[in-house]
Amino acid sequence: MSVRISSFFREAYVVSLRDLRRFWQNVYWLAGQVAMNIADLVIFGLIFRGVVNPQLIPDYIRFITPGVLCLSIFISAFTIGREVGVELRREVTHYLVSLPISRSALVAGRILGGVLRGFIYQSGFIILAVLIMGFPTTEKWVLTLTASILLVATMSSLSITVSTVTRDFNLQAAIRSLVYFMFFFVSNVFYPEKALQARLGSAAPIAYYSPVSMTVSIYRYCFGYLQSVDLFFNLTGLTAWCLISVLLAYRLYIRNLTR
Amino acid sequence: MGLLRTLLVVALWDLMKLKNQKVFIAMRFAWFTIQILVFARAVSYIVSQVVLQYTGGVEYYYFYILGVYTTLLYSASIARGYMIADEFDDGIVEYHLSLPIRRNLLAVGRVLGSSVSTIIFTIPMMLVVYYVLGVCNLAIVMVSLLSAFVFSMGIVSFVILIVFSMKSTDLTDIVVGAIDSLLVRLSTVFYPLPVIAASGIAPYYVAAVLNPISHASDFLRILVFPEYHLIAPYGPVALILYIAGFSMGLLILAIEYYEKRLEAGGWR
Repeated sequence: MSVRISSFFREAYVVSLRDLRRFWQNVYWLAGQVAMNIADLVIFGLIFRGVVNPQLIPDYIRFITPGVLCLSIFISAFTIGREVGVELRREVTHYLVSLPISRSALVAGRILGGVLRGFIYQSGFIILAVLIMGFPTTEKWVLTLTASILLVATMSSLSITVSTVTRDFNLQAAIRSLVYFMFFFVSNVFYPEKALQARLGSAAPIAYYSPVSMTVSIYRYCFGYLQSVDLFFNLTGLTAWCLISVLLAYRLYIRNLTR
Repeated sequence: MGLLRTLLVVALWDLMKLKNQKVFIAMRFAWFTIQILVFARAVSYIVSQVVLQYTGGVEYYYFYILGVYTTLLYSASIARGYMIADEFDDGIVEYHLSLPIRRNLLAVGRVLGSSVSTIIFTIPMMLVVYYVLGVCNLAIVMVSLLSAFVFSMGIVSFVILIVFSMKSTDLTDIVVGAIDSLLVRLSTVFYPLPVIAASGIAPYYVAAVLNPISHASDFLRILVFPEYHLIAPYGPVALILYIAGFSMGLLILAIEYYEKRLEAGGWR
């Protein structure tokens, strides 16, 4: 039994290393994405900051920085889904299923690959967040790390799910964008809860259940923008999102690999 | 076949593809609605009233949704280019080259067909925007459709040129994605030009002034809110001439590529 478990982890690790190596192959894409994220911070900091009502948000750059951390996770974790989609279209999946590893280790490895990509990509933005917002305490670092793990696993799994729903390249891109709009626009990333309450009325609570809102709230607390948040609600909610997403990705990816 | 008939036949190829895109249109409509009804409304809530002096008195929400509609036109035109890239990957281009049609007509037909498809594709979203803005003047609607068509021709030609240069669907996806993010950010979609000027970042200001997305969105703004003219650096005639020049220039380059680079697998 223990041999099987260790073999499963070794296989998943090998698959994730393959995905990690592929991540570095698109250096120009990576550089472009990093530049875009930094550009977002600069644009928000220098331009949008000037038009935001200071009574609602005194410092927009400090407000948006935790959101950019989530955005970096979304961008990097969704690269795994894009590759899964390309593999399905080009039928590389035949090669993958012919490998002497179990299907579940393959799926676990793909998700782990997405998680590792997310972490590596986000690390630079974490440093940037420290420079802008200050250094969190050890306890808050643990919280930040936990929130990052849960969100990146959720996003990697969602990206795999989205990419296996259809083989149509355009439709995959459209679903990816729809997921982005739903998670980021119906959340507290770009505006405070007060704005959502004012504009969405009784529908505003939907935003609280978004995994992105939960993670942003935790980041804002850890980096000192908020003095208190409901940690139990946010962490439990994120864990639930993570478990459901991983299970969904597992089932759908296996189904697409074997049909 | 006569010239017009040939163009029509080629353009119909793109138009017929719309029939298979009902799910895609519904999805785009869904995310556009989220952007208009959630994001734009919430963002306009946090924007201070000071912004009115930079928009010529136009509410930020109205300013923004016309910008979003322009980005939709842009991304829908880009999506038509993705389809052409997919055709290259699938080898359909050889079939097109074997047709008894002149290459320049093939190029113009594809660009026209893709642009008309873009317009049809974005009509539901345009209607939502004009409903929110309370526009019911048919002349404004027709002029905006015409300007959207000219703008779309330029973007489709642009993406065809990228497809030819990259010679790979995956690479095209990455490069277009990067250009997409850059062009939209460095435009007046989110911020009026005086706000960008006030930031003191000269390269950003120059990029926003030269950006065709800025011209297209500002033209629509002046069309719907004539008072916006007060803060726009150019008048509506200059804006539309810029868009027309941009589109014609890129169309000529696309024709050049179709005529000289496609033969014998030159696109591979």
